[in-house]
Amino acid sequence: MRSVIIHIFRLLLCGGLFFSHQARAERMVTDLSSHAIEITSQFSGTELMIFGAIERAITRSRGQNIVVEGIDYDIIVVVESGRNDLVVRRKELIGPIWANKSFRTLENVPGYYAVTTTRPINQILTPEQQRLLGAGIDRLKIDFKEPVSKEEEKNFRAGFIRNMKAKKLYSQQEGTISVLDDILFRAILYFPANMPVGGYQVEVHLVRDGEVILSVESPLEVGKKGLERLIYNFAHDSPAYYGIMAIILALSAGWLGGFVTRKMQ
Amino acid sequence: MQIYLPIAEMSINIFLLLFMGGGVGFLSGMFGVGGGFLMTPLLIFIGVPPAVAVATEANQITAASVSGALAHGRRGGIDYKMGGVLIVGGAVGSYFGSMLFTILKATGQVDLMISLSYVVFLGGIGGMMFVESVRSILRNRRGDKPVTGRRSRTWVDALPFKMRFRASKMYISAILPLAIGALVGVLAAIMGVGGGFIMVPAMIYLLNMPINVVIGTSLFQITFVTASVTFLHSVNTQTVDVMLALILLTGAVIGAQVGARVGLKLKGEQLRILLAILVLVVCGKMAVDLVSKPDEVYSITPVGRSH
Repeated sequence: MRSVIIHIFRLLLCGGLFFSHQARAERMVTDLSSHAIEITSQFSGTELMIFGAIERAITRSRGQNIVVEGIDYDIIVVVESGRNDLVVRRKELIGPIWANKSFRTLENVPGYYAVTTTRPINQILTPEQQRLLGAGIDRLKIDFKEPVSKEEEKNFRAGFIRNMKAKKLYSQQEGTISVLDDILFRAILYFPANMPVGGYQVEVHLVRDGEVILSVESPLEVGKKGLERLIYNFAHDSPAYYGIMAIILALSAGWLGGFVTRKMQ
Repeated sequence: MQIYLPIAEMSINIFLLLFMGGGVGFLSGMFGVGGGFLMTPLLIFIGVPPAVAVATEANQITAASVSGALAHGRRGGIDYKMGGVLIVGGAVGSYFGSMLFTILKATGQVDLMISLSYVVFLGGIGGMMFVESVRSILRNRRGDKPVTGRRSRTWVDALPFKMRFRASKMYISAILPLAIGALVGVLAAIMGVGGGFIMVPAMIYLLNMPINVVIGTSLFQITFVTASVTFLHSVNTQTVDVMLALILLTGAVIGAQVGARVGLKLKGEQLRILLAILVLVVCGKMAVDLVSKPDEVYSITPVGRSH
């Protein structure tokens, strides 16, 4: 935590917050507590801190009067993973049994999606702005591959989002970003163990008076590490050899188990 | 201590897995069964994707059966020729089973098929075992002697392609063992079981094999068929989690030792009734899950990826 504080301090200095003499618009610097999340064998989910500093707008009007703008800054942080097609299935009664029946394919949806804000998002931006920005689970653009009626679109969309929220892959926390002195902000997001691997995008939007004035993007890389990575890649890259390895492993483990128990008796 | 399973893609307590391995190992040691029919549903109940549970269990059963097969082999308890015929059937069966599994997985019906086959097979076998052991206990009470001696000729003896099996002292058609092997192969591929619960009764009652080579030959076949299933699932669906298999195995080896000792203290009929009840409970739980309305009717699967 201490290194983070030093880091923020350095950001402030570089941003030149303390040495501002000229008229200019807002600036914002952001960083992540880590740019890579490594899934190791002990991995059980993790938190990521997204922090940064806002430099207020300073304008000179009529001579020497310095006007500092921006009392009401808001921050919206959106984190999303790479996009993929997903199939949503619905169980329906077939005779006496509940079985998957209807399904829809959702095109290009993120496997992980988290939004966090300084205030309730509807107080910060209009629904239309949220849609344009792709901020907010309810405003997330979800396209259906198969034709779908309005009613079914609503049902499948809601079912999809409920599932993702239950798996903690989708989350929306409004009003949880803390801002210090209108300068420093800090957001904490949770990543569950079942999150998809690959490249993530972290977007930080600075909003003033219902207007997005700055957006900063940073990449985040999520990958399996060590033995986990080895096993996963092996299984997917050369499945035949992986299968043979699994058999050999099982045969030797079984033989060893039998050998040990025979010696013990 | 949490451990992340690379193929199941979930984080789970390693002691829970060891405990499950140990518990199922204990029961399989006590009853002399493989335990796949208990472990696969258990894995599904704790949240392992059903496809991963089935494929990984096949891998674990390979390990569990090989030491038994070796032990029986050492004291001449395997009819290798019969085993070979059963394996040929098993290879064909597991191939088609795995194909069916892959197709159903792509259409989202694999979970349903796993549950349905469990309900049908466990219900059938468990029910039969229960009735049979209750009858034999009643028979013992009345003091009747069970009927022994060679069975009379049946439709089995009328089948063509007869082969001589020296170790079993039999001269029968190869069609029946091939068919039994194939059925077991299919079950191994789609249910994640060794299939001993089908094969052992089939060998005793259908093939009329001598009891001293039944268990060994069955284990011999199971080792090969589950190895084949492991390979096929690895190639087709990438659902074998070796990490999970090894953890379960570790628990199972220890549990089986304790279970075998407890099993010696119980009578045959009592054991069979207990096993029948256990089988029926697992079957009942799966049946109830099938017909009761799920909390969430929607579910998500990725496209073009295995699970």
